[in-house]
Amino acid sequence: MSDFVFATARYESGDWDSAPLVPPNIIDTIARYTSIDVAPTGVVVPLSSPDLGRYPLVFLTGHLPVRFTREEREQLARFIERGGMLFVDDHNHDIDGAFHKTATEEIRRSVGPLAELPNDHPLYSAFFHFPDGPPNTGHELNGWGDNLLHEHLLAVQREGRIAVLYSNKDYSSEWGYHPDNKRFLAVDNTRFAVNIVVYALTR
Amino acid sequence: MRSRVDGRVVLEWALRTGALALLAWMIWLSLAARQRGGEHRAATSAALADSLAAWTLDPRADSVHVNIDQLPLGAERDWLAALRRAGAAVSWSAGATTPLALSVEALNDPAGGVRARIAAPVGTGVIVSDSLGVLDTVVMVGPSASLRARAVLGAARAAAIGRTKSPAASAAQRDSLAPRGAVVLGRAGWESKFVIAALEESGWEVSARLAVAPGIFVRQGSVRLDTASTGVVVALDSTAARDARDARDVERFVRSGGGLVLAGDAARSAPFARLAAGTPGARVRPAAITFGDSAPRRALGFYPITARGDDVVPLESRDGALAVAARRAGGGRVVQVGYDESWRWRLQGGSGAPEAHRGWWSAVVASAAYRAAGELPRDDAALDPAPLAATYFALGEPVVPERAPPAPPPRPALRGWMLLALLAMLLAEWASRRTRGST
Repeated sequence: MSDFVFATARYESGDWDSAPLVPPNIIDTIARYTSIDVAPTGVVVPLSSPDLGRYPLVFLTGHLPVRFTREEREQLARFIERGGMLFVDDHNHDIDGAFHKTATEEIRRSVGPLAELPNDHPLYSAFFHFPDGPPNTGHELNGWGDNLLHEHLLAVQREGRIAVLYSNKDYSSEWGYHPDNKRFLAVDNTRFAVNIVVYALTR
Repeated sequence: MRSRVDGRVVLEWALRTGALALLAWMIWLSLAARQRGGEHRAATSAALADSLAAWTLDPRADSVHVNIDQLPLGAERDWLAALRRAGAAVSWSAGATTPLALSVEALNDPAGGVRARIAAPVGTGVIVSDSLGVLDTVVMVGPSASLRARAVLGAARAAAIGRTKSPAASAAQRDSLAPRGAVVLGRAGWESKFVIAALEESGWEVSARLAVAPGIFVRQGSVRLDTASTGVVVALDSTAARDARDARDVERFVRSGGGLVLAGDAARSAPFARLAAGTPGARVRPAAITFGDSAPRRALGFYPITARGDDVVPLESRDGALAVAARRAGGGRVVQVGYDESWRWRLQGGSGAPEAHRGWWSAVVASAAYRAAGELPRDDAALDPAPLAATYFALGEPVVPERAPPAPPPRPALRGWMLLALLAMLLAEWASRRTRGST
């Protein structure tokens, strides 16, 4: 079995599958830059399932309002308590949007409140170096959504480790393209995904 | 007709003969007593303290016996042993005494603490205490039991409940330990992440070097392979040693007293193979990843270990195959763990799995880690860790039943009367001769 399997969380409410091209793109990036033994295809794991424990890093995204069921809250809390890491990306990149308001509230209820992650956090040097913190996305720079450049990511930390990483930067749109198209980019914009995966695997 | 003088001569001869016979008898009694080798003395536990002093001062007491209904104190036992070494035949017989032994040792664990081990017959209730009071009570379900305490103040005592005739065993911590850090080597993966987490949550100071790409490592802390800063190296897989120089450093570290934990297939890598307890076989996949509370590691994949030599100590087996084994390598210890993907235990196990996973890894690492010990002052003379065993050691096997004492020697009064009679005979013979004018 491969060491790392990219897992996307499926939840009852909202549109959990709004970024279907992100998993293959990240898998491609991990294989391209690292020697991590990564499974060639990702999996979808129900947030309410004990199987969540098989994938210690889980990606969750969406545009629509999020309302976790009781089972989803319990499984998520158990998953985080045991050392799992949830990476949540707001596909709207809108702090006044439905996803942001509801998802952050659900995270607060299930795990705890989110707080700004300092831009010198080890996450930003786990593999590639991002001295200014999280890389900006084209959607932020184009002024879409909330028309803001989000300077920080948010996180819930446990025992000095990131348990929930939350982004308003809309990496789901930024990374949502076929991996072959990376050749058209001057700088690979998925490099930050390597940091997230390497951080999850080593801290 | 015989004259009166002739009669007195006959009487004098009779007195001389009687005196000589009496003298010969006294000499024979003296020689017989010497041949018997002295005198036998016996005492019970209650009178032992007084008897020991009397026996020591009595040169004829060359055979002593103690009927023990209550084990002697350490000083009394040593006294008996001293009499034995001085040439006296010391024997003992015991009634119902409860064997009890106690040891106390500092745990090589960053959380600190002390482990007390108790040995006593099955079913015995044992109360363990220290200078401050009771630490715990255990009922023996096997020949040995252990308990963990945060600290033991002064000497620890273990006493069998309801067995007043059995003295308490007492022991004290010999040294205090200052656990060193742990270095984790391997590739970036869930196993490395969760082993590091388990060790850090147990209080270990962990530094790590994890490979993420060719020539690129994620480092945590400073990896220093010397026993001044590091107690143990945990090699999680066959990539743990980057090159031959790396492997030499690990080997030097282990041979100089450091610990090494080889997990999964790490022992397959040539540099570690020399140090390993055995050779990992083909990986066995678990039939089902279902973590039962009684044997959670059965749900893990593992590499059966084929022991390499007689010096290998098996620690855990599964389905007849060796799963955890240990051996010494120079001054250090190597523990080889056949299990891999232990992180599944933590994430997919039942309630309490994270604690169990954490505790197991911490114990494995502690069992291999270098023991940086500082000796503690203690009064060995006041300690008695195993009273009954020490009695056996000092006095030999007990005698059952008590050896019958030999026939008592003639009383001193009889010897006095014999001497008086001898003198009287000689005086009468001399007086008779003088009064009849003979010389």
